Order: sequence, then structure tokens, then C-alpha cells
Amino acid sequence: MGHPAELLELSLAQAARLVKSKKISPVDLVSASLDRIKAVDGRLSSYISVFEDEARKVAKAAETMIMAGHDLGPLHGIPVALKDNLAVKGFRTTAGSKVLKDWIPDHDATVTERLRRAGAIFLGKLNMHEFAWGGTSDNPHYGAVRNPWDMERFPAGSSGGSGVAVAARTCYGAIGTDTGGSIRLPSAINGVVGIRPTYGRVSNYGIIPLAWSMDTAGPMTRTVEDCAIMFNAIAGHDPKDASTSRAATTDYTEGLQRGVKGLRIGVVPGYFFHHLQPPVRDAVKSGLETLAGLGAEIVDVNIENIHGNISAQLTIEAAEPSTYHQRWLREQPDNYGADVRSLLEIGEMLLATHYLQAQRYRTLLRQEFLEAFKKVDVFICPTLPFTATKVGAMKVVIENGVEEDMLSAIMQFTGVPSLTGLPSLNVPCGFDPDGLPVGMQIIGQPFDEALLFRIGAAFQSATDFHTRAPAL
Amino acid sequence: MTSRKEVTPAAIAVLAAYAELPLAPGREAVINATLEAWIKDANELSRKMSAEKHRDLIPATVFSHPIDTEEGN
Repeated sequence: MGHPAELLELSLAQAARLVKSKKISPVDLVSASLDRIKAVDGRLSSYISVFEDEARKVAKAAETMIMAGHDLGPLHGIPVALKDNLAVKGFRTTAGSKVLKDWIPDHDATVTERLRRAGAIFLGKLNMHEFAWGGTSDNPHYGAVRNPWDMERFPAGSSGGSGVAVAARTCYGAIGTDTGGSIRLPSAINGVVGIRPTYGRVSNYGIIPLAWSMDTAGPMTRTVEDCAIMFNAIAGHDPKDASTSRAATTDYTEGLQRGVKGLRIGVVPGYFFHHLQPPVRDAVKSGLETLAGLGAEIVDVNIENIHGNISAQLTIEAAEPSTYHQRWLREQPDNYGADVRSLLEIGEMLLATHYLQAQRYRTLLRQEFLEAFKKVDVFICPTLPFTATKVGAMKVVIENGVEEDMLSAIMQFTGVPSLTGLPSLNVPCGFDPDGLPVGMQIIGQPFDEALLFRIGAAFQSATDFHTRAPAL
Repeated sequence: MTSRKEVTPAAIAVLAAYAELPLAPGREAVINATLEAWIKDANELSRKMSAEKHRDLIPATVFSHPIDTEEGN
């Protein structure tokens, strides 16, 4: 062990065990990751900033600590990367925008600070859809992020750089943020694992907001175990973020081996398998069959008012960012990319009643899901209804040759957890005939992330989709 | 609330004026189609949420969490 290619193929958990046992050094992990970034990221554009000198210095210090017997835990000496809307003290944080191109925070985001305290090493900041307002990561200021499975395809977003960096093996884990699907969509499209936590489970302090009432942050990794390890480090109440909950956390790696026997998986028959590209439908149905084969029970459950969620999602996601950006939109409209500028202008023209009816709809939808959880333990559906489209596409064809608006189409399934505040885990569950990844979304009860990790781990123990790597 | 075609560049100019948002020339036409589609869907959702059976629902701007849960971390 020690050849860079071998090091890069390790999962985060495997690398952590080898660091702990002093068989590999954080210096080697960082060096391999930085070399990989240099080799492939010129084509992928997944990083906005790379902290080469800082990462090497911290790796040396991490190695010294380990050799002296000081182990900070499973993230000690592990190279990770952060979406560029998380503040890192002393380092430029752009949120993928020209507006903040020179902003250097004087503080860490709480997620940044907790990962730092856990011993993680930051390789750099990841490219994203400008201000996280969009699902393509076609960034006009820092370059369009490319999908490592097919460079002509998009990586989804808004955490496109995070999904690509993990899939391309340039880091062992990344942090993304998710308002309407921005962790789960690029996780699915790039074939990696990503969790949108329960609203309030992870602090948003120090993260540039998109829509306050739906914003969350979470890890993106290659395996469910890796995701749980990173989640352990960042979950929990934060006095600096009043929206975080005091509900107890747990060790999210603890139940990963418990399997799915006897668990009840809900499917909404009139919604979850309608309006899908056939390969996506087939892969997710096959995923459900795999879980049934492991002992889970698949149960049809009706959610009476599930239709309407996309409009509610768009209305809220339009109005809240337009509020945050109100001054900048008047002072420097030309500094926004074309699509984000349009979305921010549109958000100023929806009525207050539209916004509040959408917020009332959230109450209704959440009540219906909480009631449904009396019958099932989780729901499983596709993460999005299509596989990766061409870079630059603003329309997508899902069925019958009909072109649809990308933004509405991409949130067909991710909007449900966003509106209800429920946690949701994307797990890779197949590939389409072009070799593009498909993801399925496991939706759980509030603060039940441990169960999502347990189901995801059981699925990965029975499948190998997460072990496949894009050819770069 | 109707779903008649009421979103036009001229209407957008008025909305922008109400919001004191100075739109650059031609912006109304750029956003017209998307705004029209979104308002149509938002009005449909408003009709649904105005039904008598939903009268007691309150907006979920921020979810509250149970106060009796054990403190973690």
C-alpha cells in the first residue's frame, strides 16, 4: 500500500483505518489527492480554489500527531473538500459568484470548524451553481463543471463540484448544501452517496444562504459508511444557528450492519414511478427488489396531496433568495449569470400570498408524510427522473419526446424532503445504457438519519454500483 | 385568481415598478415565459390551499422541534 492510485481507490473509512494504524500517512493521502486534482480537474472544473500549501502543512502536522499517539478520530488526516459557499477563515469564499469573488471570511462555518476539529484536511473549495440557485453547475464565472462519467454531460447541482470531486477520486469526501435537491441531485448524477439531513440537524452558520427555511448541509462520499463518518462530525445543535435542534445525536456508524429485515419501505404508487426515463425506473425498481430480497417489505402508501410540491418548491425557492439578494440585484445586476439573474428577478414578482400558500402546503405535506410513517419506516423513490443531460441544456426530455423546463423537472422527487424537512439519502442504484449513474432516494422520519444509513449500507453490501469508477 | 394569460412584458414592468426593481431594457421579455408558468402553477396551488378543508393549516416557515427531546452533543 502506498502507490497513489491504490490510495485514491480507498474509501474514507479504509483510509482512516490505515492512518490510525500508521500504515499510511496523511502526507501521502494529501499528496495523492493533490496530484489527482492536477491531473484531472483541468477538464472537470470541480474546484474553484485548491489549498495546496495549507493542505500539505496540515498533513505533516497530522502525521506528527498520529506518530506521537494523538488520534483525533476517523477523520484525522483525511483529505476532504468543501462547497464554496461554506466559510473558511482566511480563505476566499465565493459561493460560485462574481459578487463575492474577493470575499475572505474572518470566521469558519460551523461545519468547517467541526470537520477541522475532527482532524479533516481541506484540499480546497468546490465549484457550484452560482449562489446555489440552480441545478446544473454550469457556472459562468468559474467554468461549467463536467460529469466524470461523460465530459459532455452535466454534473447536476447545485453541489456539482462536490459530486464530481468525490466521483473523480480527488478527495475522500466533500460537503454540499441542499435546499431543493442540491446534495442529492449531483450525488445521483455522479454515482455517489449524499445525505440531506433533517432540517435543523446540521448547522447552517457560516454558509451563504439560498432559502433559509429549507437550507441544509451534508456530506457526499463514495460509500454510506463514509457518509456516516462525516455526518458524525457535523451533526448536532449549534448555539450559533437558532434553527438547529437539540434532539439527541447518535453514532451514525453504529447500526450499519443491522440489515433491513422486517423494515417497511413505502412507495407512493401514483407518483414515485410515473414520468420517468425508463432506465431510471428500471434501476430504482431493481433497487427495491434487492432490498425486498434482503428482507424488507414494500408497501404502497398514498400521499393525497403530493401533487403541487414542485410549484411550492419553486415559489419558496424563488422568494427567499430574492429577498437575500435584493440589494445586490439592484446595485450590480450585471455581476450575476444570466439564469440566476432571471430567477432573482422572478422571485421579486411572486405575491406574498403565493409564498404563504406554499408554506401552508408544506404543513399539509409534512402532516401527510408523518401520518404515513405510522405504516412504513421509510419511503424510497428515484432521486430525479432522468440521467445526465448535455452541459448547457436548459430543457430535458423525460418521456414521449416532450421538452420540459430543467429546473421544474429536476425537482420532481427532491422537493418532497425539502418541503417537509425530512432527511433523505441518495444511494447509487444502477446505470443507464450510456453508462450514466442512477440514484435512489431513501426518505426517513425526522432525525432518523441512522436508519437511512443502515438501509443504504445494506444496499451497498449487496451491490457494487458504488465501487465503479469513471474512466478519466 | 384566474389562469388567463395575464403575465405580459407590460405587466412585468408594472410588477418591477411596485418592487422598485429597475429592470434593464429587454429583461421583461427574458423572464416572461418562466414567470407566467410559475404564476399559473402558484395560483393553482393557492386554489387548492384555499379549500375549506385546509382552512386551519398554518405556514411552516420554520419547523419547531419537540422541547422534550434529550439534548445531544
